[in-house]
Amino acid sequence: MTQRRPFFITFLAPAVLTAVILVAAMFEVLQYSVRAFIPGALDVGGFTLDNFTRINRPIYWWVMLDTFYISFLTAIFSLLLSYPVAFALVRARRDWVRSLLVSLSITPLFTGEIVRTFSWMLMLGSDGFINSMLRKLSLIDMPLQIMYTRFGVVVALVQFSMPVMIILLATAISHVDRDCEKAAANLGASPGAVFWHVTLPLTLPGILSGIVVVFAWTMSAFSTPQLIGGGKVLMIANLAYLQGFSVLNLPFAATLSLIALVSALGSLVLMKSATSRIEKRLAIA
Amino acid sequence: MTPHTRPDSPAGDAVEIVRVRKEFGAAVGVADVSLTVGRGEFITLLGPSGCGKSTLLGMIAGFVTPTAGKIIVDGVDLTEVEPYRRDIGMVFQSYALFPHMNVFDNVAFGLKMRRLPKAQIEAEVRRAIEMMKLTGMESRRVRQLSGGQQQRVALARAIVIRPKVLLLDEPLSALDKNLRAQMQVELSDLHRKTGLTTIFVTHDQGEALSLSDRIVVMNRGEVQQVATPIELYRTPANGFVASFIGEINALPKARYERAGEMAALVLPGVGRLTAPARAQWSFNDGAEVQAFLRPEQVRPALPGEAGANLLTGTVAAHIYQGSHTITRVEVPGIGLVETRVTGAEIISAHPVGTPITLSLDIGEAVLIAA
Repeated sequence: MTQRRPFFITFLAPAVLTAVILVAAMFEVLQYSVRAFIPGALDVGGFTLDNFTRINRPIYWWVMLDTFYISFLTAIFSLLLSYPVAFALVRARRDWVRSLLVSLSITPLFTGEIVRTFSWMLMLGSDGFINSMLRKLSLIDMPLQIMYTRFGVVVALVQFSMPVMIILLATAISHVDRDCEKAAANLGASPGAVFWHVTLPLTLPGILSGIVVVFAWTMSAFSTPQLIGGGKVLMIANLAYLQGFSVLNLPFAATLSLIALVSALGSLVLMKSATSRIEKRLAIA
Repeated sequence: MTPHTRPDSPAGDAVEIVRVRKEFGAAVGVADVSLTVGRGEFITLLGPSGCGKSTLLGMIAGFVTPTAGKIIVDGVDLTEVEPYRRDIGMVFQSYALFPHMNVFDNVAFGLKMRRLPKAQIEAEVRRAIEMMKLTGMESRRVRQLSGGQQQRVALARAIVIRPKVLLLDEPLSALDKNLRAQMQVELSDLHRKTGLTTIFVTHDQGEALSLSDRIVVMNRGEVQQVATPIELYRTPANGFVASFIGEINALPKARYERAGEMAALVLPGVGRLTAPARAQWSFNDGAEVQAFLRPEQVRPALPGEAGANLLTGTVAAHIYQGSHTITRVEVPGIGLVETRVTGAEIISAHPVGTPITLSLDIGEAVLIAA
C-alpha cells in the first residue's frame, strides 16, 4: 500500500521559507555580534568578544533593568485595566453592550503603532489634550511633564497591549463554569466573595498568560518608547537602534539585540515555569 | 451522627410555593405553581425536559427571579432574598465542585463563608466527609475523583451547612447505571439520617418512584398531579401522567356505558370491553373516555378461554428482559398493545407474525375522561 502525502504539506512551504529566512537573519545578527567595530565604516572587522565585555557597564545594565521594569509595569496595569472590560465583555446581558465592547477593544489592533503613538503624543504633550484640559479647569498652573517620561511611555504601552490582554482574559472568563459561581453563592458567598474565591482563581491561567504575553511583547517595544520617550526613556530596542543607526556600531547593536532576545526568552521561560507551578498548585491547568 | 434538623426550625411546612410564575419573554416556563413541602419530606419534581422543573428549583434557590408568586421557607418569604442569604443547600447536575480546591476545602467552603471558628469547621467537615464515606480523600483534587465520589463531595458540601432545604438537580443523571442504583440507595439513606427536607428534580420516573415520599409531575410549566408514588402509578390523574409514569397501553377513545354493576367501554370498530364498575368511574352514561392499561394488566388468553375482553392481533415483536418478556401485539383498530409476562415461554409459543389472543384486565384499567 502506498502512503499518500498529506495534502497540507504544500501549504506549509511559505511558513518553512519564512522560518528559514528568519533563522538565517538571526545567524547574521549572531555573526555581527562577534565582529570588531571599525569606527566610520559600515564594514566590520575580525572576530572579537569585546562587544560582550562592553555590555558590562552600569549604563547598559540600567537600560536592561528599565526595560524589564517598564515591561512589568505595562503588564500589571494592562491587566488591572483589562480585567473589568473583559469581564463586562463576557458577562454583559445585552448583546449590544457586548458588541460595543468587542469593537472598542479590538479596533485599536487595526490602527498602526505609529498612528496610535502619535495620538498619544497629541494627548500627553505640554500643549496636549490632558494638559490643556487640566489648565482650563484651573487644576494646574504649569503643564505636567508626561511626554518624555517613563509614565508617559507606560501609559501608551498599556493602551497598546490592552486588546491582546482583553482577548486572553475574556477567553479565560468565558471558560469559567457558571455553576461553580452559583454553587458558591448557594453556599453563602456574597458576590464579592464569589469573585474572590471562585472567579478570580479560575481565571488565573488567563491572567498569567496575559501577563507573560504582554511582558514579552513590551520587552521588544520600539516606536512607542522611541517617540514618547524621545531619547529620555531608553528601552533595549531603542538602545540597539541608537548604536546601530546613530553611532553606526552595527556589531554592538547586534550584541544588544542578542542580549535583548536572550533575556526576553529567559524571562519567558522563568515566567512560564512559575505559571505552570501556580497552575499545578491550583489544579486548573 | 445527630440529625441535621435545625433546632430553631418552626413548626409547619418547610417550603410553601405560592402561585409562582416565570415567564421568559412570551414563553411561560412555570405557570402559577402552588405546592407545599412538609418538614423532612422527600419530594420529587418529575417531568420531561423543558417542563419547568429546573426553573422552579432555580427559583427556590434564588437563581431565577419569579415573575409572580411567593416562595416561603420555614415561614419566611424568601422571594426577594439573595441566593447567598437563603441557607438552602443545592447539588448541581454538573456537581459544580470547585476545581481549584481539594475535597476538604470544597466541603468547608460554606462554613468558611459563615465565618465559623476553625475548629468547628474542621469538626463539621470531618463529620460530613465521614457520613459521605469520603474519609481519607480530604486532600484529593476533585479532578482525581470518580463520578460517584464527586457526587458524594457535592452532597457533603451541601449538607454540611445544615440547610433549611436540600435541592437536588438531576444529581444522578451523569452516573452510569450501576452507580446510579447505588447512589439512589445512598440518597435515601442520607435523607433518613439527616431528616432534611429534600426537593429532587429528575426526568427519570424510576428514580422518582423509588426515592420519593411524594412526586410532583410537571408538564409545560404546569403541575399535572401531586401524589405518592403508589397513587401516581395506580391512579394517574390524566393521560400525560399515565403515559409518563411507567409503561402503559393507551387504548383509543371509547364510549362509557353503565348497566347496573357493570361498566362497558365501546370501542368503535373493535367491540365492547366490560368490567364491574368501580367507584372512581364517575362518568356519565355515553361519556367519551380513554382507557390506560399497564402491560402487566394484559396477558395472552388461555387456550379455549372465552369472555368479553379478548382481543386478537398479530405478534409484532418480543423484547426479552430476563425475568420477563414484553410482547408487542398489533391489534386491528387499536394499534400496538404491550403485554408483559414472566419468563420466556411466550417467545416460542407465539412467534413473531403469528396470531395471538390477549385478555385485558379492564377492571384494573385507568379511565380518564377524554
